[in-house]
Amino acid sequence: MNGSLAQLSPEQLLALLKSRRVCRSFTADPVSDEQLRLMTEAARWATSAGNRHVHKFLIVRDPEVIHRVRAVSPGMLTAPPALIAILTDLDKAERESLQMEHDHANWMDVGTAAMNMMNMAHALGLGSCPVTSFSRSGAAVMLGLPPHLTPEWLLIVGHPAPVPPPRRLSVNAPKPVTARDLTWWEQPGRHDP
Amino acid sequence: MPATDRSSPQMVLTEDQAFDLLAFLFSAAEISLVEPTYYGTFRLVDAASRLMGFMLEHDPERSREFLHRFKEEVDTKKVWMMWDREAYYDFLRAAPAIVAAELKRLDEEAALESEATTP
Repeated sequence: MNGSLAQLSPEQLLALLKSRRVCRSFTADPVSDEQLRLMTEAARWATSAGNRHVHKFLIVRDPEVIHRVRAVSPGMLTAPPALIAILTDLDKAERESLQMEHDHANWMDVGTAAMNMMNMAHALGLGSCPVTSFSRSGAAVMLGLPPHLTPEWLLIVGHPAPVPPPRRLSVNAPKPVTARDLTWWEQPGRHDP
Repeated sequence: MPATDRSSPQMVLTEDQAFDLLAFLFSAAEISLVEPTYYGTFRLVDAASRLMGFMLEHDPERSREFLHRFKEEVDTKKVWMMWDREAYYDFLRAAPAIVAAELKRLDEEAALESEATTP
């Protein structure tokens, strides 16, 4: 472990990960070039199956383009100051002989890049929200993409607006999931070592 | 009373607003092919919220207060779908009556106005 990593304890890292929340409400403050560069730098260092790097990260801050993308993105509940689209470069995928219809690693690479970006946004004091509910064909048009680039995932990002009112939970609402709920040791169903 | 008879102020969407809504609805229809079925209700409610937002931009005199209040309620409660589905379903069951009551109020108000202006 090098010196800079030694400064971040496992507890600090876990605290960062646990304190990140999806943010669906932003102020009008702009997101800087440097903040967006750091987010895509974080995405670049995500795992990439076979070191193939078939994805591109398209940063958009033009309010008119964001407005249009939102029109075809039902999952984008608010218009953010910035968005980052993760695109698959189909030309690169073809050069890498990927079988896109069957290759789940492609999706995993989108997810790991996305997660790195969201954690970096959080570390920068920004809020972010992943958007998977959008029309791929509609977004491609709104983003002005050539045919070999296909949008896989959108991240909206900005400075978080003041905290919304506390959510109501009904009596029968499910309890928050714990790591133990999701973890088995040695065999399915065994939650403890 | 037929809807066409009611003296309702003309309040139309701009072309841009209408296309926004069209793009949203067609996109929601497409992604409904792959999303969990109950998300479809959320998309409809969200479309209704967007429509109310556009209506508010025209500052409608008779329904302004209702639209402002109800849109705020819708935007608060629609996201319960993600963490408290039963509470969200309760809201879905209650919402039509809220809109119906407002529609009825507008009808009654229009009828009173009509009576007052009839010689």
